[in-house]
Amino acid sequence: MAVATQEVREKTSGHTGIVDCDVHPYPAHADEIRQYLPMPWRDRFGSVGRGFYGNPVHGSRLDSTPPSGGPAGSDPAFMRQQLIDEFGVAYAILLPRTFCNLQPDPDFGTAVAAAFNDWLADTWLSRFNPDGVFKGSITVNIQDPPAAAKEIERWAGHPHFVQVMTDSGARVPLGQRQYYPIYEACARHGFRFAVHPGTDGMGINHQATPGYPTHYIEWHTCLSLAFQAHLVSLLTEGVFERFPELGVTLTEGGVAWLAPLMWRLDTEWKALRSEVPWVTKLPSAYLRDHVRLSSQPLESPDNTRDLLQVLEMMDAKHILMFASDYPHWDFDSPTHAFPKLPADLHERIFAINARQWYGLPAPGTDGASMPETLDPDRR
Amino acid sequence: MGRHVVGRVSEVPPGGRRIVDAAGRSIGVFNVKGTFYALRNSCPHQAAPLCLGAIKGMTLPSRPGEYHWGREGEILRCPWHGWEFDITTGRSIFNPHKTRVKAYEVTVESDQAQDEEPDESVETFDVTVEDGFIILHT
Repeated sequence: MAVATQEVREKTSGHTGIVDCDVHPYPAHADEIRQYLPMPWRDRFGSVGRGFYGNPVHGSRLDSTPPSGGPAGSDPAFMRQQLIDEFGVAYAILLPRTFCNLQPDPDFGTAVAAAFNDWLADTWLSRFNPDGVFKGSITVNIQDPPAAAKEIERWAGHPHFVQVMTDSGARVPLGQRQYYPIYEACARHGFRFAVHPGTDGMGINHQATPGYPTHYIEWHTCLSLAFQAHLVSLLTEGVFERFPELGVTLTEGGVAWLAPLMWRLDTEWKALRSEVPWVTKLPSAYLRDHVRLSSQPLESPDNTRDLLQVLEMMDAKHILMFASDYPHWDFDSPTHAFPKLPADLHERIFAINARQWYGLPAPGTDGASMPETLDPDRR
Repeated sequence: MGRHVVGRVSEVPPGGRRIVDAAGRSIGVFNVKGTFYALRNSCPHQAAPLCLGAIKGMTLPSRPGEYHWGREGEILRCPWHGWEFDITTGRSIFNPHKTRVKAYEVTVESDQAQDEEPDESVETFDVTVEDGFIILHT
């Protein structure tokens, strides 16, 4: 009843209070990033992009190019018009696309990550953010974990950074111990750790298929394979036992694979638990406390009942968070991507789960009793 | 049945399009090689403004490893997810029987809408069908 009342009120006010967990801001020009890079890196920084496995049709919504010029996602006023205001988004979690972890030179990759963080903090998280609708992700270069941990330290206590992020492209699975300085820093400062697709099979990173697929459609479909491998690694290496405060956001890595993968891993664990004795409970039992998935690109079976069953099986009520991926080509519309959901499930996926995960106050409240970015019990 | 004057034929040349509001809807009118077609400006997938998409050809069905490009100028790709639609029918390429966008009839007529009074103060000339009016029927 309380939920229904709240729904009516939000509809009446025209504000749905959506939290969009995957939104991409872009600099209008590479010089915006370059100005934050010290020499010798400033001259080394080329364009903003990855230059491999490009979408053969288009990479961003054609209607997302700002009328003011510049690339999609580069004009905050237009993004507000097309996403924030159009759909009543209360918070947009920003994930810049740096592609820094494909670089063979770890120092260059780290410098690029830092430059994007400075840029994001000076623009989208401050100048463009008088109402606090934009929440940011700290990019780190995971090929140099100690340097990444230092970069996280640099932003500790920032009012609008809510998580640390990396692309899923990697040389070893994310549960392995060389990454622990990053997780330790995330846990200490209350940042979630987000994984987003992007540099799989590029630069120094492995491709999570047997070799390189031929087509973009293969590469893009199989992005979820890296996420599955990273999740199994995080669970079996005992990362969440070692860092009980750590939370991992799996962004744009697919949704429907989760339940059957967990069934498989749980079954394996019953027989092979002795190999990983630090895993003290069913691997799937770590998810609610430590893992969230963002929804886009949501799998869309012809029979929507199939999807509703998948959502039930994967515990979407507690671990799924809506994302649109604006302004990218596979944007999921907040009003059309999902089938009709029960009201309480809708509210959890589109708002509550993410607000709790990132410690964001409900829209319309002043949030005074709650720290800006942190759930008190995660301190 | 509504009748809406879209404009002069010369204003929408082959390969061109004009998006109009008619009967409370946004509708795209396309000139494909001299013939006009109209589609509702809303993708059946996620309601994107379909008619803002790129006008292209398509890779025709072929054997593995072969590419045959055809139907240049007849295919509309949704500006969001890139789904392909046949401008001449409104049917999608991947599932023409089920996934389709509403198509409207378009005619080219030498006179503007019959119910409009001619403006006597303006000197008028006969128009040929080549530069007649594009009429959208909703």
